[in-house]
Amino acid sequence: MSEEYEIPEGLYYTDDHEWIKVLEDGTVLVGITDYAQKSLHEVVYIELPNVGDKLKQKEVFGSVESVKAVSDLYSPVSGPVEEINEELVDSPEFINSDPYGKGWIVKVAPKNLDEEIENLLNAEQYREHLESLKE
Amino acid sequence: MPVWFEGVIPEHNAVRSAVGIFDTSHMGRLLVSGPDAEALLDRLVTNDISRLGPMEGLYTVTCNEHGGIKDDFIIYRLAEDQFFVVPNASNREKDLNWLLEHAKKSDVEVKDVSDDIAMMAIQGPKAEKTLQKIASEPLREIRRFKCKEMTLGKYKALVARTGYTGEDGFEAYLWDTPLSNPSKALDLWEEILSAGKEFGIKPCGLGARDSLRLEAGLSLYGNDIDEETNPFEARLGFVVKLKKRHAFVGREALARVNKEEAERLLVGIRMLDKGIPRHGYEIWKRDRKIGHVTSGGFSPTLNVGIALAYVAREHSELDTEVEIKIRERLAKGKIVKSHPFYDETQYGFKRVKT
Repeated sequence: MSEEYEIPEGLYYTDDHEWIKVLEDGTVLVGITDYAQKSLHEVVYIELPNVGDKLKQKEVFGSVESVKAVSDLYSPVSGPVEEINEELVDSPEFINSDPYGKGWIVKVAPKNLDEEIENLLNAEQYREHLESLKE
Repeated sequence: MPVWFEGVIPEHNAVRSAVGIFDTSHMGRLLVSGPDAEALLDRLVTNDISRLGPMEGLYTVTCNEHGGIKDDFIIYRLAEDQFFVVPNASNREKDLNWLLEHAKKSDVEVKDVSDDIAMMAIQGPKAEKTLQKIASEPLREIRRFKCKEMTLGKYKALVARTGYTGEDGFEAYLWDTPLSNPSKALDLWEEILSAGKEFGIKPCGLGARDSLRLEAGLSLYGNDIDEETNPFEARLGFVVKLKKRHAFVGREALARVNKEEAERLLVGIRMLDKGIPRHGYEIWKRDRKIGHVTSGGFSPTLNVGIALAYVAREHSELDTEVEIKIRERLAKGKIVKSHPFYDETQYGFKRVKT
């Protein structure tokens, strides 16, 4: 099953299928995984937080809605939102076409990244997590 | 039929802008024949069967004694005393038993031929051009709700100008194609796909079938209509002929309902806020619950969430603003024309000269 999904190395993942990418300046980009976008199918709406909103790890910060279903977004890290991907408002399909690139959702300035990253999965662990969902 | 082949939105758009093909063999197909066939059917359905000429069809509902809708379907008159009924898949057994029960005392044979006939729908403004390439008869001469026997490619089929998408199009019934040996149907499916290639034909799944019928404002049995709803509140009063020759099951109840004002009506809702209304969501107006969504989804044509919903009559006026409870929040929507939701000069069968 996990072979069908792209799981880039170097990113960190949540059980709920979000990813983060740690940028050089210490901020992180947050998005949803290839598995998540394929499960949701065609995304038509995204509900984003506002810049400045303080996210908490494992708490809901928005939602994505597809033709099939609506799904909450859980924050992988805690910290204020620095930037939101406003392009998604008009082009939510980027989440499907490029989940790890143009489909990024928010940029966060994490407060306790070193500590919180312990709660996240690396690519290999996330692959194992997907395998476990198959069973 | 899968939920989608490529995706709900591209398949939906193919049908609105060009042509798509659906395998609809899950539906029921019943043959009702014999000298009493017309009278039997006319006593069970609300529409007037006697006005059907040979090779003509009509849309009707069949009701229980309380006027609740047992099913909705198209009936074709194939010959003077032979009719073809195409019920919803979920009601196939119920309808068959209902017909058999009422056929006992009359000279009628009721046969379930669902598993002996394959069925597919070719829908969209380019449906005629696509199908004409392999059809033995001029399709242009078949008016809406009429049908004709012909060959499609190598195979004998009944072709009707009907559908469930709001677009011009056809439903084809392929005789002698048992479920156990679908090779003729697969062959024809491929042939239609080749014929429609130049127009960008797409095979379509259940997802697009549902979004297309929703945009067209066509009811789905089990969602928008059922035995607890009557045709008047479902805005299907146009198929109830209270004064036709035969009395029919439910007529007294329906005559009574018709005189009173319905307490609730099926309306269309178009979202003003983001979010997709879905089956079962509550509808609110000024802190009062006024109804619920029976069918909802994303409209690819309008690029917004739309729904069919029952609301209290006093809130059913066009342009009334309402709130739809989408999970924990109330999202704004308004009541709009729903039959269809789209602009008929741009989309749907009326824009196509047939």
